[in-house]
Amino acid sequence: MMKLDEIFATRNWVGKPIRRDADIRFVKGEGEYVDDLPIECSHVAILRSVYAHARILKVDTSKAEAMPGVLAVITGDEVAKVTKPVPARAITKPAVQYVMATGKVRYVGEPVAAVVAQDRYLAEDALEQIEVEYEPLPPVVEIQDALNPDSPLLFEEAGSNILMQDTLQHGDVEKAFREADLTIRESFKMHRYSSTPLENWVIIAQYDRPSDSYTVWANDQQHGRSILNICTMMGIPNSHFRLIIPDAGGGFGIKLALWPYIVFLCLLAKKVDGPIKWVQTRREHLLAGTHAPECEVEVEFALRKDGKILGLKFKDIDNDGSFVHTAGIYGMIKFATLVGSYAIRATEAEMISVVTNKGPTVQNRGVGKPTMIFVLERMIDIAAKQLGIDPIEMRQRNFVQPAQMPYTTPSGEIYESGDYPECLRRALQLMGYDDFKKKQEEWRKQGRHVGIGISASIEPGTSNLGYYYTARGTPEYMGNAEGAIVGIDYDGNPSVMIGSVDEGQGHATTVSQVVADMLAIHPDLVTVRTHLDSLISPFLGHSGCYSNRFNDVDLGAVIMATKKIRDKMLRIAAHALEAKPEELKLKDGQICSSVDPSRTIPFKEIAALAYKKVLLLPEGEEPGLKEIAYYKSTMAKLPSKTDFNVQITHSNSVHVAAVEVDVETGLVKFLKYVIVHDCGNQLNPGIVEGMVIGSTVHGIGAVLLEEFIYNEDGQLVTTSFMDYMKPVAAGLPHFESGHMVSPCPYTLLGTKSVGEGGAIGSLAAVGNAVEDALTPFGVRVKTLPITPEKVVRAVEETKVI
Amino acid sequence: MYPIEVTINGKKYKHEVEARLLLVHYIREKARLTGTHVGCDTGNCGACTVLYHGKPIKSCLMLAVQANGAELATIEGMATKSGLHPIQESFLDKFGFQCGYCTPGMILGAKALLEKSPDPSEEEIREALEGNLCMCTGYQQIIDSIRDAAEKSQKSEKKTPAGAQSK
Repeated sequence: MMKLDEIFATRNWVGKPIRRDADIRFVKGEGEYVDDLPIECSHVAILRSVYAHARILKVDTSKAEAMPGVLAVITGDEVAKVTKPVPARAITKPAVQYVMATGKVRYVGEPVAAVVAQDRYLAEDALEQIEVEYEPLPPVVEIQDALNPDSPLLFEEAGSNILMQDTLQHGDVEKAFREADLTIRESFKMHRYSSTPLENWVIIAQYDRPSDSYTVWANDQQHGRSILNICTMMGIPNSHFRLIIPDAGGGFGIKLALWPYIVFLCLLAKKVDGPIKWVQTRREHLLAGTHAPECEVEVEFALRKDGKILGLKFKDIDNDGSFVHTAGIYGMIKFATLVGSYAIRATEAEMISVVTNKGPTVQNRGVGKPTMIFVLERMIDIAAKQLGIDPIEMRQRNFVQPAQMPYTTPSGEIYESGDYPECLRRALQLMGYDDFKKKQEEWRKQGRHVGIGISASIEPGTSNLGYYYTARGTPEYMGNAEGAIVGIDYDGNPSVMIGSVDEGQGHATTVSQVVADMLAIHPDLVTVRTHLDSLISPFLGHSGCYSNRFNDVDLGAVIMATKKIRDKMLRIAAHALEAKPEELKLKDGQICSSVDPSRTIPFKEIAALAYKKVLLLPEGEEPGLKEIAYYKSTMAKLPSKTDFNVQITHSNSVHVAAVEVDVETGLVKFLKYVIVHDCGNQLNPGIVEGMVIGSTVHGIGAVLLEEFIYNEDGQLVTTSFMDYMKPVAAGLPHFESGHMVSPCPYTLLGTKSVGEGGAIGSLAAVGNAVEDALTPFGVRVKTLPITPEKVVRAVEETKVI
Repeated sequence: MYPIEVTINGKKYKHEVEARLLLVHYIREKARLTGTHVGCDTGNCGACTVLYHGKPIKSCLMLAVQANGAELATIEGMATKSGLHPIQESFLDKFGFQCGYCTPGMILGAKALLEKSPDPSEEEIREALEGNLCMCTGYQQIIDSIRDAAEKSQKSEKKTPAGAQSK
């Protein structure tokens, strides 16, 4: 692996909080989101199921089709005739599902038909004229309904509502539990929520008749897989499908699942002349735009009296709703943090995925790891209390120690670096923990209920996509990789194109910092195209903006392509200057000889040689100055049940929250919140800070406010931001953060993951703080979210949140 | 169809519109000013915030016909030929945006706040932003940006000699 000194010619830009001037359009209102593109479109509206579970007896679209201004209509039966079913990745039972309901509907909000009309208002009017005859079936709503063998089946062909069930043991679990001084067992429930990007899904589709091909503009977040899925399902060659992704208004995983809509929008586009556009409403987004599944968890610790955790048994049942593509992955991905920050050497994990008549689920920020860390960190506190050990001491006794790095967990995850004990010490110091604890006693005497909660967590990055298929045994994707094209333009300035997209993380700025330091120029001179065009962008099946992979593989590809171009420039310069390549160096947009400073050649002249004066190139050198490179993450293993790594990089953090609970109103107020994290080398601390705090607020929304609530008929009752509550600026703490730097030995720049950490670590910090505050009432936190209603009820009656 | 005339960022627009057309759709689709966004359709998120006679409103909660004769300001009117508005500069300096989708609403909200209260406390800013959702930043860097803009304008006012017009 290249050393930093080999990568960088200067150290002027990387590591500094460079302003995001590359994205200046956003502060000017000139962002180019899909809905902003100046493309004249007709508009699509989607008729959605009003039942959670029902047979579709008849869909009559004739009245809608006859309406003036209506251009075309499509139904699920028609879609099913011309497309293949949605491919599954993790589940092991057969389950046939199309991108639009056919035969029956499986959740409220499932698309049943779609209309194109001259404008959206007319399209919505037309939906009212479509007559659908349903035969309602009893809905399967909650996990326990799905597990009941007498319940109706969502997918008859599966023979069960359990579509994946697997138990994996690593280490000697039997011995750990046999040798334990005591075992403790708890159950927890995690709710259904979503990180809800502020921009909803938007798709524009256009069919080109002469070439029988499609062009689509969409805010897709994982286009590599989407493009492959769409082409396969439509049975069209890759070259007949072009996807363009301009700016996106946030993703957080929720935009990984819009590709099924692209399929039927393409089919609709083929029926009309000109482009068509669908803009998802917020209600559609909340109803059918995918969620993180709720889950029920049982966990058991085998403990020694001194607090040492010898073994862990874990059972996880995820309610994956009704999207077979991603069902099952929330269980498998938990292996990335199955033992959290702790040196637990024996684990047993049973992962169960059930389907129900709730909405689709997809990889929401943190994907299962918020649950895993919540459960582990709650368990640590519970075990500490039971053993009479201080919760801090309990953690210190079990942490993976810095001397053990790189550390391989029983299932094969590799924690590459980090100092977890020191991270906790620093967080406590920043919190003023001892002082708070002293005051806590006084406050209690005054009738104030203040609690402090700690959460030590791992934030994995870069998915080894093979993990999805661990239960199936036949991976279609493995590892992780990305592509980049770097060129020197005719004017001597570099331009970069990546195979991936940006959901708002400021990739253009970070890339420009890296390229600037590799070529010894100013980042303003580097043009980075973050918009994707599948016709020309160097994408792979893995491409997309997810799992904190940018710092690893996206930049890996940029570095390798820039290295190629730099090497070529040096060869051309050496020839032109009649110098030895090793005596050359890059400086201020020129290549000069360190032996004879008078011998210099500007990049522009090198470009002229490569593009125009090609007869002056060295013997055998190709004209042109554009290079493509692909980079694959170095540590991904081939998945097997005995040894697999789900993710490649592992940041760590400690969150400490101090809260005050008003036992009359049930409101939880923050007094202080500190985060100390270690994401290896930081490339742009201004961006990193935003990721750390922003992700923490996602977690705080999940732990205190947000929940998709379904009634017993499977109707979602939280369908707007009036009842699906998001955090607002008022009521949030001013976060104080501290940083540690343990460079990753397996990424080119020593970076690890940043972007999901707070969404993983914050839940347990708040949960533990609330339980600590309510100690006088004996209240225990076992479910989320911690809503005022649940707090009051727990204090007054149930003793359990 | 109803004739309406509105002034947006000092420029007059005249259109015939349906009674049911929302103001935000008018601004985006008829006036083609796409910096004003739609995030929730229910007036909760503030991505569609515009200034209506100088006061922030949610343009998804108003019909275009109701805005007949109004003076509106949108994000596109913030920067001048001489450069960005100081609040825009502060959003860049303090990393006050990530995906940028809420940013126009945040900046207009900040402008209205600073006109009313030129030196707001962190708490005051948090209260003022209650109607604007940001899903990316956790708000802290947005608040830092607004504080930064306030501080800079306080400093520049102190530098301006008495009686001189500060802008």
